[in-house]
Amino acid sequence: MQTTQQSQPHRVDGKRFELEALPWLDDVYRFALSMTRDEADADDIVQETFLRAYRSWHTFEPGSECRKWLFTICRNVFLRVRERERKRVDCGGDDAQLETLAAVRVSVAAIGDGAEDLFSRLDLAPALERAIGELPEVFRSAVVLVDVEGMAYNEAASILGVPVGTIRSRLFRGRRLLQEALIEYARDAGLVVTSGVPCTGVS
Amino acid sequence: MDCLEVVRQLWDYLDSELTDEAMARIHRHLAQCRQCYPQFDFERTFLDAVAATRREHPAPNLIRRKVLAKLRKAGLDL
Ligand SMILES: [Zn+2]
Repeated sequence: MQTTQQSQPHRVDGKRFELEALPWLDDVYRFALSMTRDEADADDIVQETFLRAYRSWHTFEPGSECRKWLFTICRNVFLRVRERERKRVDCGGDDAQLETLAAVRVSVAAIGDGAEDLFSRLDLAPALERAIGELPEVFRSAVVLVDVEGMAYNEAASILGVPVGTIRSRLFRGRRLLQEALIEYARDAGLVVTSGVPCTGVS
Repeated sequence: MDCLEVVRQLWDYLDSELTDEAMARIHRHLAQCRQCYPQFDFERTFLDAVAATRREHPAPNLIRRKVLAKLRKAGLDL
């Protein structure tokens, strides 16, 4: 955690900060909102993120990816702010391959007449957004960074401060949970008639 | 390369997180396997749908203004 010096602020190249950091405000807000799921909290986190970014602008390496740098700060701010929701979610180890198999089992159950059909006949966006919001935080942050923000595993790993293998397993588990939620939604809408495959892991 | 191997690496493949060689092998398998292709197609469509949720939340103007105000207060000359 970097400490900011109060008394002697660094000279900041305001123009550069404005040109490189500020354009990511929407992205940082979206990321903050994905973590907090609360607009007022996201609001605070975004302000704090940019304030810290400004104060530690001298640590930003020119030419590196500013969005990733800001996300890392944002993530740290979020972790600091979040003292209550501290329950540890068990990620079930790093056996990502089992998660993959489980995910595929779920999706196979849903395929039926074909994925296109399922996705095109039903407007899944609202259900999907809700399902993302309801994911436990560890899975949500992995899904948001990789699947929504389009980051590589190693970028997401560096922002979240975990090994790449952990990102993979969280990501795959998160995707599986999303698929389960979607399939449930589709079933409620009468689009999937299978009873679903219980995902108790692969033994 | 058998189907199980493909299925195990399907997410990594979709995420382009494999070596070029592995990517090519899976690509070839998918092109000719009737069992794996629908799964691939499903996962891809699913990931597209997840990615499509992205555009939903531009930062409200109020937040933008608050951020700018805070930065000005901290000394940024805008
Ligand atoms: Zn196959």
